[in-house]
Amino acid sequence: MEEEFEPTIIAFVCNWCTYTAADLAGTSRLVYPPNVRLIRVMCTGMVDPKYIIKAFLEGADAVLVSGCHPGDCHYINGNLKARRRMRLLKEVLSVFGIEPERLRLTWIGASDGIEFADTIKEMVAQVKRIGPNACKHQTVV
Amino acid sequence: MAEKSGSALVIGAGISGLRSAIDLAETGYHVFLVDKAPHIGGILEQLDHQFPTNRCGMCKLLPAVEPDQASQQCLRRGLFHGNIEILASAEVMDISGEAGNFCATLHQHPTLVDPNRCMGCGQCAEACPVEVKDTFNAGLSTRKAIYQPAPQALPGTHVIDLSACTHCGECVSVCPTGAIRMAAADRKKFKILVADEASSVREQLQTLMAGEGFLVDTAESGEAALEKLKSEAFHLVLLDIKMPDMEGVDVLKEALAVQPSLQVVMTTACAAVQSAVESIKAGAADYLVKPFSEDFLLPQIYRFYEESGKGRQRELSVGAVIIATGCRYFNPAEGKDIFGYGLYPDVVTHLAFERLISGTGPFGGRLVRPSDRRPVNKIAWIQCVGSRDLQTDSDFCSSICCMSAVKEAMLAREIGGGQVETVIFHMDLRVFEKPFQQYLDDAKRSGVRFQRCRVHSVACSEDGARLAIRYVDMDGAREALFDLVVLSVGQRPAEDAEKFSEMLGLELNPWGYLAPRPFSLTETSAPGVFLGGAVSGLTDINDAVIRAGAAACGASKAIHKSGGSLETVESADDGRDRDINREEPNILVILCVCGDRLKALIDMDVLLDRIQTEPAVSQCLEVDGLCSPDGWAKMLEELKDKPVNRILLATCAANAYAHRRLEIADAAGLPEAAVQIKDVFPSDWFAGGAPAKEQTPYNTGYVERCLKLAIAGLKGIHWGPAEKIPVYQSALIIGGGIAGMTAALAIAGHGFRVDLVEKAEQLGGNLNWLGRTIDGADVAERLQTTVSRVNDNSLIHVHLNSTVADIRGSVGRFQSTIGEGKNAQTGHHGAVLLATGGVEGATESYGYGKSPAVMTQKAFETARSEGRIDPAALSSVAMIQCVDCREPPRNYCSRVCCLSSLKHAMYLKEQNPDLSVYILYRDMMTPGFYETYYTQARRKGIIFFPYTPEAKPEVVVPGQNGDGASRLRIRANDPIIGQSVEIEADLLILATGITPVLPGDLMSKLRAEVDEHGFFKEADFKWRPVESLAAGVFACGLALSPRLIDESMASAEAAAMRAVRMINRQYLTAGRKIAVVRHSLCSGCQLCISACPYGAREIDPEFGRIEVNPLKCQGCGACAAICPNSATVLAEGSETEMFEMIDAAMGPV
Repeated sequence: MEEEFEPTIIAFVCNWCTYTAADLAGTSRLVYPPNVRLIRVMCTGMVDPKYIIKAFLEGADAVLVSGCHPGDCHYINGNLKARRRMRLLKEVLSVFGIEPERLRLTWIGASDGIEFADTIKEMVAQVKRIGPNACKHQTVV
Repeated sequence: MAEKSGSALVIGAGISGLRSAIDLAETGYHVFLVDKAPHIGGILEQLDHQFPTNRCGMCKLLPAVEPDQASQQCLRRGLFHGNIEILASAEVMDISGEAGNFCATLHQHPTLVDPNRCMGCGQCAEACPVEVKDTFNAGLSTRKAIYQPAPQALPGTHVIDLSACTHCGECVSVCPTGAIRMAAADRKKFKILVADEASSVREQLQTLMAGEGFLVDTAESGEAALEKLKSEAFHLVLLDIKMPDMEGVDVLKEALAVQPSLQVVMTTACAAVQSAVESIKAGAADYLVKPFSEDFLLPQIYRFYEESGKGRQRELSVGAVIIATGCRYFNPAEGKDIFGYGLYPDVVTHLAFERLISGTGPFGGRLVRPSDRRPVNKIAWIQCVGSRDLQTDSDFCSSICCMSAVKEAMLAREIGGGQVETVIFHMDLRVFEKPFQQYLDDAKRSGVRFQRCRVHSVACSEDGARLAIRYVDMDGAREALFDLVVLSVGQRPAEDAEKFSEMLGLELNPWGYLAPRPFSLTETSAPGVFLGGAVSGLTDINDAVIRAGAAACGASKAIHKSGGSLETVESADDGRDRDINREEPNILVILCVCGDRLKALIDMDVLLDRIQTEPAVSQCLEVDGLCSPDGWAKMLEELKDKPVNRILLATCAANAYAHRRLEIADAAGLPEAAVQIKDVFPSDWFAGGAPAKEQTPYNTGYVERCLKLAIAGLKGIHWGPAEKIPVYQSALIIGGGIAGMTAALAIAGHGFRVDLVEKAEQLGGNLNWLGRTIDGADVAERLQTTVSRVNDNSLIHVHLNSTVADIRGSVGRFQSTIGEGKNAQTGHHGAVLLATGGVEGATESYGYGKSPAVMTQKAFETARSEGRIDPAALSSVAMIQCVDCREPPRNYCSRVCCLSSLKHAMYLKEQNPDLSVYILYRDMMTPGFYETYYTQARRKGIIFFPYTPEAKPEVVVPGQNGDGASRLRIRANDPIIGQSVEIEADLLILATGITPVLPGDLMSKLRAEVDEHGFFKEADFKWRPVESLAAGVFACGLALSPRLIDESMASAEAAAMRAVRMINRQYLTAGRKIAVVRHSLCSGCQLCISACPYGAREIDPEFGRIEVNPLKCQGCGACAAICPNSATVLAEGSETEMFEMIDAAMGPV
């Protein structure tokens, strides 16, 4: 029997909102799939597109960038910068042969532990439908 | 660390208390932050969203300059600041002494859980059999008797609700760290005397309590009870209020005379509750109403048992006290119109609604009805429940409910995807602060409906499925059906307002709120004691934060005046400044193995093998029982003299230790950032859901991955020594009105030089033409004393007829040219305050300028004080509000005009009762206790006509139509009779509002922003209301937004406090988590300059390269992400670090 595909998701989460929410999900013992690997950043505005491309090239099946809601950014407008960047990056990703839906940007506030868990669940389900990231097989060192 | 001698007590850790505490702590004082609740944050912990952004942003309270003083994390998780000692579950019992030297007695309530052991795993709450209503969720859900008081608070310490706990001991047996103390052995030492005439009661109580292990004795009469009390010591007496031989109260008094520390609880039948209340005044600890059930009585007994044995008294010596205990909310069930509250579960208060839509609320943020959990399609808000209502003795406005209803309605629409119908039933819509009118317009555009009317009642619909609101509008009686009804309940004074009033001799206003002195929002009649936030009336966040700043300023001045030194004490270098930046990473991994539990789950040898192949890891240390104080101390001991420069602590509940990072750093002689604490096990492994043994390889891989990710992060930290920037220890204040002068006095009061620049030939600004306030306070007298205090202060240098011609530099180091030509002086200042004020708005509407009978409010006020107005000669005066205001282009409320009109109208009516006064208004803005003047004005017979911007009044000036009329004619629509009316008036007074006069050129030189109306743009309207994003630039008074005199002064004090904080040391220490530029890689494209939201970057004209101002940089990394050459390097989150982390996340395990 073939083993079920378990996707790997890299999540860049902002220190102020989504990291707090992820933590809340943990302390509230909400169950979400262990497929996600969190990388805490101070602000989504510092997530350089090359980090996301690197994650995909390393074989991540999906990347989540998640920060504070618009107007809520601790650093005034970092999340808006991230929003612009992600919009453009999605255009570029398809050129690389990476489905744009593998990249997701969400706003998850500090109290939204449930939303964080739901987002991860939903992403895992979605990526399972799309299948593994093709780049994983192509990059051979 | 720099510390200032002197300390302050802040009572109440809500928004206001937090702001005051952070302000004082940043300035260098030691702050005791006390709250009765077991968590900080006050009501804010319950609010996920706040107007006018509909989001949070509470983290912006944290220090922006010298950010390393406090923990950089969401404030809901807690505040960790080196100078703030948080005392939760504590109550202030007494304060004695005087300004500069107070002694406060604190009673710390026992929570029965040892915070040093509790890891917040929550197993106790699962085991607890007692369920009570969850007050945190406004009663919409239940919680256990042992619970985590705030969902996000770190370290997640649980507490026991003593009023509910039955001491069954279930939690004790499941606690993995033995943190709960509920020893039965001590109960034998707790002696209880039951004094009751009825033998059945005596026996019942004796059996019950002796069964729990207490030592119980009984007495059948007052005499017998006193006899026993004289012969032996008791801890608790349950005393019947009606004893056969004497009155219970007399027994109580004698008993307390014999044993003063005795706790006496009166027991009473329902009918005698009043006398039981009396007995509290005579010294009883509490009263209980008979008959009592076991379930009710036992927790009460235990409460006294725990309080007497374990409650700790603590004495604090402080220099100043700030009372910021907030307020309560009206309970609609107490009112005459209860609107179905308590009858129908779908009628909720606005606080309950906040919990209903909260992610941490009972329904996880889904918008459903509390009754049947079905989706909500139609919601109504009823405003002014328990406010603006003489029937409930609330002749005041609660100030925030209009905006909070607007917010809730907008959020409901957002959550419901625009499908939820929202209607707000209101009277006036009070949009009295700068951004509120636009916020209201946004709400209307987003589809929120507003219905101006008073609601008659709420009833169940005929089919029983919905709620019917009955109301009357201009067209008659109506009924509308809703799924959910939200009551915007008003404010009530804080529970302990009266207690503090008695303790400190503070004044209460007619509604029981602590009242500040005239012309102040924070000063009290007791020197050294200040009021913060909503304790003197409900405020929104902006106002609360400003008041908190003003209170902190007052407290700081009081401490300083009484000798609290401003000299800073530099503590010895203890490794916190060690530069590990250039050292090769050398990591010590500490793994807490939790007895045998970890070994049972993973293959330890494989893990250690794999981790040690990582070159940066020099050593792996296995420790055990970090959750016990012994284990922790042992671990710290092990750290001494370890030749490492980074430490990774891997545990099961990292959050429980997050706030103790500094302890590890200090023990190892490292900067705090060199220590990381990581969760490396999923929380469910230890909380019951441990995976099966056959999953060992998977588990080992999981832990390994977590460790590798953390190691990668640690390797990449570029955490150099903090830069110190010398500061000019003086302030520049531009504008010599009441705000500028107040700020000058506040800063000079701390011993710093102030340059006060005023462009006119005299100080005073708008106060020069204002006569009296609506409260009757004498403005001229206040102005005179303030001006003479300014002139007498040798530290304040007043520059009249002067402007600031040029200014450059940034926080800590501003250089300016004051004055022009030969008289020009050069100034050096550490902070700049803009207090440039505002002027009355200009208008051409309503016949202004065409007839001398049409005048502005300022003209009327001037004419009146010069005696040019003779009320006896007038028979009719009309006033029009909101002239060219509250609609584009001046789409804001000017706040002062409604009060001015009321003041003028009441003056005219008092002088000539036969005079008719008409006020044509859109919404009367009389927030807070000003409402009572609106009530008075209506009682005096002043006639109010509401109008809408679509149907404005029309004014015909004499001679305009060539009909020879000698009086003004004003046509308006009277909505009550539904017809247009014509008013003849001798005089028409126009309320044209306030426009700012902020000098644009200076603002751009300071790199501070101006908002769309020309006012100063705050760094954040709610959380940082008196400062600019450009650090070191502050504003106060009308330069910020329209405000009253006392509000201007409060903002001036708040701004002064922030300024003092910048200049009170010779050096400002930059944060270490910042960005630096590698000039060799930089191409000078300058993209980063525009990307930086703080203006921290500029081009150095001499070398043509990018310079980062380390005081302004917050380390957000916007510059790093935009840099095409990777020339910007972040101290935390550098490119190398990120790449390493991605590798670790994706690499093989």
